[in-house]
Amino acid sequence: MTAFQIEDAQTGAVRTRPARSRNRHPASRRRTLLVFLQVAIVVAFLAVWQWGATGGWISTFLFSSPEQIISVLAQNITTGELWTDMGVTAQEVLIGFAVGAVGGSALGLLLWYSRFVADLSAPFITAIGSIPVLAVAPMMIIWFGTGLVSKVVIVGFSCVIVSLTNAYRGAQRVDPDLLDLMRSFGSSKTQAFTKAIVPGAMSWVVAGLKLNVGFAIIGAVVGEFISSSAGVGHMIVTGSSSFAMNQVLAGVVVVMAMVLAFGLLIDLLERALFRWER
Amino acid sequence: MTMSHAIEVHGVSKRYGDGPLVLDGIDFYARSGEFVSFVGPSGCGKSTLFNIVTGLLAPSSGRVLVNGVETTGSPSRSIGYVLQKDLLMPWRTIMRNVILGLEVHRVGRAEARRRASALFDAYHLTGHEDAYPGQLSGGMRQRAALMRTMVTDPDIILMDEAYKALDYPLKIQLESELMDTVKAAGKTVVFVTHDIEEAVTLSDRVYVLKAHPGQLVQEIEIDLGTDSHAINERRLASAFNDYYETIWRSIGAGGRTEVAA
Repeated sequence: MTAFQIEDAQTGAVRTRPARSRNRHPASRRRTLLVFLQVAIVVAFLAVWQWGATGGWISTFLFSSPEQIISVLAQNITTGELWTDMGVTAQEVLIGFAVGAVGGSALGLLLWYSRFVADLSAPFITAIGSIPVLAVAPMMIIWFGTGLVSKVVIVGFSCVIVSLTNAYRGAQRVDPDLLDLMRSFGSSKTQAFTKAIVPGAMSWVVAGLKLNVGFAIIGAVVGEFISSSAGVGHMIVTGSSSFAMNQVLAGVVVVMAMVLAFGLLIDLLERALFRWER
Repeated sequence: MTMSHAIEVHGVSKRYGDGPLVLDGIDFYARSGEFVSFVGPSGCGKSTLFNIVTGLLAPSSGRVLVNGVETTGSPSRSIGYVLQKDLLMPWRTIMRNVILGLEVHRVGRAEARRRASALFDAYHLTGHEDAYPGQLSGGMRQRAALMRTMVTDPDIILMDEAYKALDYPLKIQLESELMDTVKAAGKTVVFVTHDIEEAVTLSDRVYVLKAHPGQLVQEIEIDLGTDSHAINERRLASAFNDYYETIWRSIGAGGRTEVAA
């Protein structure tokens, strides 16, 4: 009998028990299992899709196939077109995000300075937040042209309200006793803002930034749908107008990859900001 | 020439909006270097009085003088305060929490750290300078909070139920440390508590408040006949029980017996 076998007192049967050392990190084992299953699901999905496309029972005209999508991506990489499209979209997203999400967060935090201004602007912020970006994007193109500026405005518009409201809410949730403590030290309002409000609201600000990763990229793609000469949205919209599903889906894959990569950057930022939590 | 007291409060009353009177005509003083406690039932306005003395709250009428200077309604640098909540900023290390007040006073980073470093030993926190508050125990956090106040070197320390959340042995230990610290530094302490035992043990003088509205009902000089700062020794002093009973009755006479002792 090995060390990992114990005798069941009632039946006398020998049961095996996993080695103790393997069981020491059940959480990390669970995580490994989850990642493994997630990858397996993706692989299985792609395999079935490819198998159906090759076998002829999935229409490649309607659904394309993993092979065709990869070949479009490979071709666009060789011509350099993919990098141009990604570069254009990334530029729109990054500048628009900086203006909309970062700027919105800053505005939301600054609203803490004046309860009056915050209350005054509250219904307007809600009203602006309820406008779907699709409804105003064509107007933005008319106002700001078909180039970078209109896309930046659209992306910024997609992000600004979520970041603003999140940051403002975060600022309001900072413990009032902490602000009293600052006042008891004789702090100015600006010292209270920089030392207590900004760091205290940071988890809300980052939550807003995370939500906006998706909104920013949607904004850029929507802008490119309406009018563009390059970009991932351009790639998708030209593909769909010529019924090239492989190009449409290749574009979708690129959008997904960009959202993931951008999300990863925000995760890194979060880790750097919240070192104290671990 | 008359010496002014560390704190003088004259005829302070407070009502919030159109609400009932929370404090009614409070007069009290604390001599320099004296340890003064306020005890009373819930609803006696202890915390309101505390906030008025710190200058965080303006009274509806009356005056607050700190070292002879009127400070009514504005925080004075001569006063530091410690609450039940340690109010450490979770994103700052203990060192950076301790120097918060110095930063506000625009003391240079190096000088602030130098002043704070000198205190870590006495507060049993050496080696935890770079830890975050979340990594420390409740007692250590409360010590860090007291350090944050002491490092700005206020003449007067106001404490509101500072040790309420701690378990008994730790509370006794921190009370002993507090007495050592403030007596050695000659600080004036105003201590707000609902705990009669704590008030008698620590104080030179105790004010008893009654509730609805908060009014002073008695002022009691405490002399336990010992110079020891050891809390247990002070509690075993023969006079302790008499003082305890006097205050207990005084609170009872105030119309309420709702006291956790």
